[in-house]
Amino acid sequence: MRDGHILEIRDVTKRFGGVTAVNRCSLALAPGKIYGLIGPNGSGKTTLFNCITGLTPRDEGEVRYKGERIDGLKPHRVARRGIGRTFQIIRVFPELTALENLLVVTREPFEAARRRAQELLRFVTLDRLQSEYAGNLSYGQQKLLEFIRVLMTDPELILLDEPAAGVNRTLLNELLVAITRLRDQGKTILIVEHDMKVVMGLCETVFVLDYGEKIAEGPPGVIQADERVIEAYFGR
Amino acid sequence: MRWAFLVALVGGLLLLALYPMVATGYGIQFMLQLFMWVALAQSWNLVSGLTGYVSFGHVAFFGTGAYAGAILVTTHGWHWGPASLAAGVAAVILALIIGYPCLRLKGPYFAIAMLGLNEVMRVLVSYFEGLTGGGSGLSLPTLHASGQIYYAMGLAAIAVTAAAYLIITSRFGLRLMTIREDEIAAEAMGIDTARYKLYAFLLSAFVPGVVGGLFARDQGYIEPISVFALLTTITMIVMALFGGKGTIWGPVLGAVTLFVFQELVWARFLYLHQILFGAIIVFVVLLMPRGILGVLQERYRLPRTL
Repeated sequence: MRDGHILEIRDVTKRFGGVTAVNRCSLALAPGKIYGLIGPNGSGKTTLFNCITGLTPRDEGEVRYKGERIDGLKPHRVARRGIGRTFQIIRVFPELTALENLLVVTREPFEAARRRAQELLRFVTLDRLQSEYAGNLSYGQQKLLEFIRVLMTDPELILLDEPAAGVNRTLLNELLVAITRLRDQGKTILIVEHDMKVVMGLCETVFVLDYGEKIAEGPPGVIQADERVIEAYFGR
Repeated sequence: MRWAFLVALVGGLLLLALYPMVATGYGIQFMLQLFMWVALAQSWNLVSGLTGYVSFGHVAFFGTGAYAGAILVTTHGWHWGPASLAAGVAAVILALIIGYPCLRLKGPYFAIAMLGLNEVMRVLVSYFEGLTGGGSGLSLPTLHASGQIYYAMGLAAIAVTAAAYLIITSRFGLRLMTIREDEIAAEAMGIDTARYKLYAFLLSAFVPGVVGGLFARDQGYIEPISVFALLTTITMIVMALFGGKGTIWGPVLGAVTLFVFQELVWARFLYLHQILFGAIIVFVVLLMPRGILGVLQERYRLPRTL
């Protein structure tokens, strides 16, 4: 692990036709911390996630995970290295049951997998719905299912794309506790989130994107007072 | 419930095994073709029902198998048994060549590419006259083996349905279904979707090849338009859809229902049957896209292993 970073992005650029979605973006994550990634709509947050996970290969720059290049790898290879993610728009497997959604993503022996899957379902209070098709669950429940599906693959780096959107307050608090607990277990977490309360309460370092460029980086308190950030959000 | 089902299944198979002793020639032919349709619809189900990659060219594997089997029998003097197994291998080789590039295509593009494959195969077979007899077809030496082919065809239907059972009840099957459900999410969860798609495709090509070889031997004569017929693909798709795609027993139910129906009506009304067949397609697609078993599953919360 070079410089002790688990993930290192250097000068990553991604263009779609004439639009530069991510522009020479660099950031580095130290292991065992929670990071936030914020920015106005269309600022390139999700695209940056896709460049890390290989879903949309970056045009220029480097992505290193534990010191090794992972840009150019297929998404499933990136995932198997230990990077898990959730999606902004829910992507559970609708015609698989809640339990099957979890079982299908691991390679561990079936019985062990089932025990762990049921534990996770209990943890987000979905255990009664384990045999229900995922597509029949409510929006918030699907969101939680997607969250524990990532945990099922036991990743070391977790990318969460708006995990709090559509989850009710009680569950949200539990989700936040869960994320903190994952950090305490030594996992690294990068969160895209619009809910500032979540970002400010959870993250130790926040990166701010605007038009695909990183315009600020620092602790939440400092970021909130940063002039460029305020300008990006509210205009001059 | 489970025991009753098993007893019924074993009893049914036993009756089918004993049937040739009392059957007429027509009866044997009828059942033999029924087995063929079960095998074809179930094979299609393995790739298209599970991964959602709708193949509109599955008859290409059937036709390739028919020609491979027929050529081995006529020019190389093989027995039809091993020739049909070799026909299955030939179909798998074709699937390997075509699957690698075509499975990168999504949705309608894959369907159209597979449709094209079938046309290309038909033209190729017509062109290489020296080997295939071209447009005038290929005649096999006379042989009365319908009784034996009945059992071989039945075994093919059982084998592919057993394969469907093993796949659908395993994590391998669940992984195939994630491709249908959400391929991007499957990739992001570490599932090598390209490899799984190819496995399913190869598996689904083998039995149609074998069945094609058996069909050629049973008919004694094949020609490009009869074994590379688009209608064959459409029929197997409709059978699988009608019974319930992505389930174990759906394609069996669909093949039996539609084939029996087709034969009964066919015997009486030559043209009406095509109109009715078309009407069934429209009915299924509009009103029960998940098929008979799909509807029952939803209403009575049955598992897809039904």
